[in-house]
Amino acid sequence: MPIRHDRKVSILDVMGPVMVGPSSSHTAGTARLGRVAREILDEDPVEVRFFLHPPLAATYRGHGSDFALVGGSIGLNVDDPRIPEAIRIAEQMGVTIEFTEEDLGEVHPNTVRVEIHGPSREVEVVGSSIGGGVIEVFKIDGFQTRFKGDSPTLLLFYRDRPGMIAEVANIIAEEGINIASLYCSRKQRGKDAFMQVDVDSPLSRAALSRIRSLEDVTDARYLDRIP
Amino acid sequence: MIESFKHLEEAARDRDLADVFLESDEQEHAVPADMILEALRKRRGVMRDCVERGKSGGESMGKLVGNEARLLNEAFLSGKTFLDPLTVKAEIYALSVMGENSRMGVIVAAPTAGAGGIVPGMLLALEEERHIDPEKTVRGMVVAGGVGSVIALSANISGAAGGCQNEVGVAAAMGAAGVAYMMGGTPHESIQAAAIALKNTLGLVCDPVGGLVEVPCVKRNALFAVHGLTAAQLALAGVDSIIPMDEIVEAMVRIGRSLPRGLRETAEGGLATTDTGTAIALRLKEEANQRRAERAEERERVALERKSHAT
Repeated sequence: MPIRHDRKVSILDVMGPVMVGPSSSHTAGTARLGRVAREILDEDPVEVRFFLHPPLAATYRGHGSDFALVGGSIGLNVDDPRIPEAIRIAEQMGVTIEFTEEDLGEVHPNTVRVEIHGPSREVEVVGSSIGGGVIEVFKIDGFQTRFKGDSPTLLLFYRDRPGMIAEVANIIAEEGINIASLYCSRKQRGKDAFMQVDVDSPLSRAALSRIRSLEDVTDARYLDRIP
Repeated sequence: MIESFKHLEEAARDRDLADVFLESDEQEHAVPADMILEALRKRRGVMRDCVERGKSGGESMGKLVGNEARLLNEAFLSGKTFLDPLTVKAEIYALSVMGENSRMGVIVAAPTAGAGGIVPGMLLALEEERHIDPEKTVRGMVVAGGVGSVIALSANISGAAGGCQNEVGVAAAMGAAGVAYMMGGTPHESIQAAAIALKNTLGLVCDPVGGLVEVPCVKRNALFAVHGLTAAQLALAGVDSIIPMDEIVEAMVRIGRSLPRGLRETAEGGLATTDTGTAIALRLKEEANQRRAERAEERERVALERKSHAT
């Protein structure tokens, strides 16, 4: 039997992305991981700390992963020619940057934990760059997740209770939007919980604010496809 | 969804291979065919620009490569190359892209940055030398990308996962299928071209010197662009691979898994640990430390300056 993982990759993923060199896994993928942290934070960062899994810590400098991670975290796209200057640009913006090595356990070699602080909040993201610019974020603020950044996504932080998934799904259904995949996790029954909803088409501001105002929702973020 | 190359060949019988891939992608990823084509037109433009910039050369980040395209282009323009123009151009273009890549220039990953010279090298040289309509090249890119996406169902496309076969091997297979398509080949011939190209890269390890995408990556892209052209040539003449494409991909995954860690992009084996490779890695490390120290010094100086301004 063939060994398959049935990872569905599109033509544009394979013949792309358009990116700044030199490595799709070490430059483009890491820039997208930085960008995910920035988009979840949803404000300009003042401090970003990168914790690199040892294999990445050993190879990141030669591939410009430091420029790429910083570039993504200040909102640059993977094809932005300013990525080689990203650290200087971040310093001019007054952003404090730090790189540290940290053993992140049994994970892909190119895995990084990002702590990003803005004026009003902070976010922690753990993810891997698995090749060809493709990423897999598996932890957001301590919650297990399966975020790839390849479709519009709603991230919901809430207090675990019966009916929450149905209420969110209803609002999305009323918009005529199809849910592509849904992933939930929680720290403890009845305590902090997290929901990731990947949708096939963009969610309106009205729908987002309706979801935000649901009882027991502590925070909601809507992310477009990460370029 | 196309589940395998066997399935692809059945679905594509008497049809245009690019159309089959476009339809499948539209169903699976909800991106309309005309949007995919428009994006690929732009990416063809990025590839062309990259090839033009790369011809003038320059220094790479690790200072190990960067002028290969310029040297070969100069030899070509002064009539000093002995291979036919299509082959030489495929090499020049592949080297151009990889030179730009090594300087953090803008490129198209196809399927990765480290193997990003092969597909543009083959397709753009063919377009130019055989006077092919650029729109046909765009459709050739659909075929190349489609072949890559079917391989990606079973294999991680990265040197870290399975060595260089997973990057350069896959790129050569993608390009070979695209070239066979652009030359008017049947879907069967495109799949055979991919099979012949991929089969003959199996076992290729990823052992980059100093961990950089420079040695052997840059020159390897030029060589495997020609490898892909050769595979397409055989397939278009009716030569078939005895081992079917799906089984070749399966073999690639198995070989990748049995490769020692040191030969999967870690720079802990092969060329990376030769005497010269080790010496280069040491120099790169010292230079990086020096740059870090300089940056820290600069930060301290700026902080002191701010302090003295404040007082």
